Amino acid sequence: MAGIYVHIPFCKSKCRYCDFASFPDKLCFAESYMACVYREMAKRKEELKDYAFDTLYIGGGTPSVIDENYIAMLVAAAKKNFNLSADAEITIEMNPGTVSARKIEVYKKCGINRFSVGLQSAINEQLSDLGRIHTLNEFVTCAKLLKGENFSVDVMIGLKGQTAEDVEKTIEVAAAFGASHISMYALTPEDGTPIYTDYLNGELPDGDEVAGLYESGFKKLKELGFARYEVSNFCKKGKQSHHNLNYWRRGEYIGFGVSASSCINNVRFTNTFDLDEYFKCILSDNFAVIDSEEIDKEGQEEEYIMLALRTEEGIDLSDFKNKFGADFAEKYAAQIKRLENFLLLEDGRIKIKPESLFVQNGIIVEFLN
Amino acid sequence: MEKKNIRNFCIIAHIDHGKSTLADRLMEKTGQVSKREMEDQLLDSMDIERERGITIKLTPVRMFYTAKDGQEYELNLIDTPGHVDFTYEVSRSLAACEGAILIVDASQGVEAQTLANVYLALENNLEILPVINKIDLPSARPDEVKAEIEEVIGLDASYAPLVSAKEGLGIEDVLEAVVKYFPAPEGNGEAPLRALIFDSYYDNYKGVILFVRIKEGAVKAGDRIKTFRSDKIYEVVETGVFSPNLLPKDRLTAGDVGYIAASIKSILDVAVGDTVTLADNPAPEPLAGYKKVQSVVFCGIYPLDGSRFNDLKEAILKLQLNDASLIFEPDNSVALGFGFRCGFLGLLHMEIIQERIEREFGLEIITTAPSVSYKVVKTDGETLFVDNPSHLPPQSEIEHMEEPIVKADIFSPPDYLGQIMDLCREKRGTFLQMTYLDKSRVRLEYDLPLNEIIFDFFDSIKSRTRGYASFDYELKGYEKSKLVKLDILLNGEACDALSMIVHEDSAYARGRTLCENLKDAIPRQLFEVPVQAAIGGKIIARETVKAVRKDVLAKCYGGDITRKKKLLEKQKEGKKRMRSIGSVEVPSEVFMQILKTNKD
Repeated sequence: MAGIYVHIPFCKSKCRYCDFASFPDKLCFAESYMACVYREMAKRKEELKDYAFDTLYIGGGTPSVIDENYIAMLVAAAKKNFNLSADAEITIEMNPGTVSARKIEVYKKCGINRFSVGLQSAINEQLSDLGRIHTLNEFVTCAKLLKGENFSVDVMIGLKGQTAEDVEKTIEVAAAFGASHISMYALTPEDGTPIYTDYLNGELPDGDEVAGLYESGFKKLKELGFARYEVSNFCKKGKQSHHNLNYWRRGEYIGFGVSASSCINNVRFTNTFDLDEYFKCILSDNFAVIDSEEIDKEGQEEEYIMLALRTEEGIDLSDFKNKFGADFAEKYAAQIKRLENFLLLEDGRIKIKPESLFVQNGIIVEFLN
Repeated sequence: MEKKNIRNFCIIAHIDHGKSTLADRLMEKTGQVSKREMEDQLLDSMDIERERGITIKLTPVRMFYTAKDGQEYELNLIDTPGHVDFTYEVSRSLAACEGAILIVDASQGVEAQTLANVYLALENNLEILPVINKIDLPSARPDEVKAEIEEVIGLDASYAPLVSAKEGLGIEDVLEAVVKYFPAPEGNGEAPLRALIFDSYYDNYKGVILFVRIKEGAVKAGDRIKTFRSDKIYEVVETGVFSPNLLPKDRLTAGDVGYIAASIKSILDVAVGDTVTLADNPAPEPLAGYKKVQSVVFCGIYPLDGSRFNDLKEAILKLQLNDASLIFEPDNSVALGFGFRCGFLGLLHMEIIQERIEREFGLEIITTAPSVSYKVVKTDGETLFVDNPSHLPPQSEIEHMEEPIVKADIFSPPDYLGQIMDLCREKRGTFLQMTYLDKSRVRLEYDLPLNEIIFDFFDSIKSRTRGYASFDYELKGYEKSKLVKLDILLNGEACDALSMIVHEDSAYARGRTLCENLKDAIPRQLFEVPVQAAIGGKIIARETVKAVRKDVLAKCYGGDITRKKKLLEKQKEGKKRMRSIGSVEVPSEVFMQILKTNKD
């Protein structure tokens, strides 16, 4: 399994919590940018010729903000340059405020078969607090256009003034309009973003309150038939995001575009976050990598544990033995004993107990050297 | 230099009355150091001394001065610490002198420490020269202060020089008075050597440097020397004087203040206060030593990183090289592992040692709550002294306990009498006496339990009197008291490093406050942690550290993996700074929470 990620660093306006590479005022460069992405892909073609890819994920920013034809060309370029399986999962992220029937038509036609819609909240006031450009109504319009499609909805918790009922309502709306997958994640106020000041002023719910919101959301999701498969990800049966599962199984992936990360052959590398720099590199026929780190055996093992313990399936003990040549339960016997109240050992797997997944850092940290 | 032209003296003063500044001026005036070399407060060479504006170590310096009588004099000045904790060091330098300059601040007048130092100087039969300092201040009232000196201390202050060390006024008057009023040293230069060791420090190149006052006889390089308390014999490599850096001099004779280097490997081989004599021609009797150091405050010191025990041992040994008043013995705590139980002269001394270990040796340490030494009389009649709460015998074996009591002297403007008396009452003080020195100053005398003043008494008195009151104390003895051991339980397990001995009447309140403070200081864990205070197995207070509910990086996709790993590594790093008490992880700061008597 291997995945392809493409970053589209454009949007209509920057959300107040956004810490990603996204440039609302540079939309006019979309055409040049996409040309560079196609070129970057072609440059990786030879190196990745033996890889079989089965997912393509177009994220951002707001990929749906640029001309839909560029997206179609992008999917075509991915297929042309790499071995992307015929039944590959191809996802695009969308902002409900930027969609149209035609866009979705083009997406579907070019092979996109999964959509990820950023709703965040069904409460308009919370949407405007976040600096989202859309309203609940626009989401409804968008969801109707996606009727019958495999689509995911992003839901945020930890918003200013958010109640358990607000979270439940947001989930209900997403489910009612046919979402097959819901990502429910806690707002992370990053230093440097406008929302960080809200955090500093104590306007955002604290950790305990967020945990409460998560529990309410979790219950509602379960009630509506969404099973958790990763701490922030829930889906109807069989509708997991394969692209994301690949990350948590420590699979390989290649990223294209500004800020995109890759992990190929145990080397993690990241592209520049600077748009001009990206142009400069690609146009001068170079890669745009700014950071590269080879992960040694110990690091691989730590990553593997850290990622697997995020998921509901946990660590597959036989897979661990295959990969690292050690018996997990033996090697980490002391930690397992110490954490026995928080771990579950069953069916050849070891995982964090469902009720403790939201406090996983304190558990995972015990397994680091 | 002829002996009659030598003057050995020190400067004593209440803290902040300008002792170090006057010492600097004297050196400047006598050309000992040029203006260019002059760093403020030259004798305070340790960083901590400069930063805190206090003198910790005593430092000697030799100066030459041509007096108005046309003769040249050698003046040996020994700077002394001013803080109440360092009375011991003061008494050491006094033993090497014939005279003492007593500085009194022209606006503040006689303070508690002034009095304490004067008594010490009198005990040592020193001539005392009062000097009124800071006369440049608008609030200066030199005449009243002179009257105060005569009234309170009983010294004739009529000839006291009026100076401003800061402005350099009256410095010459001080030098003239030193020459005129202080006696020249006595002692037979031909008699067998008797030199009093008043300080020492360890030099990496020369070995132990002994600071000595030659009382009788003479010593030079090549001489074989020994001390009275040890049989070891050393060959003198170098003798010299302080200028203020070490300056070799061929020979030290009776009356001289100087140093001896004799390739002595360990400071423990030569006790400060001992007498040096010649191995081949020993004096029959040692000199009278002086008041032996007495530890007043005790605490445990542990390395934050348990594997650095040996580094800590080395650091403490090195500090002890230059600070014989620091005593220690290995100790072992269930919660903190291996460390040392250390005895200090007082709370400031303790703080300074802790700071020096961290600064000069780059070691992070955990210290336990300071304690005093209690007398425990057991039911079987045995009496023992306990300064470590975890060494207290079981309650059932204790017949009764006694605690150290001090006699405290407090000087204050009368406006703050009420506040001071309230404080002393809160601290279980017994009122002894109140004397009006004049209409603006009152002297209050109290008996106070030492364990009540080692925490925050000094700060409290300063804050309640806006800094106007001064305070000093001396140990008086032991008194019977209703004392109990207060234990702290974390998740049901007693934490020995958090135990303390308290008075029964305040045990409940202390337990409450401590639980509240600990609740805030202990980070939330994966599980709920009860924090309990108990006396003899009976719980008297409880708080709960709630279990952590959110500890997760919400999103972990392709680009987040490295970040998450770094985050966890940081979290892991933080854990290394914690101690495990049973299953509870406790940051080292927690052990200092016990110091706080109030919730804040």
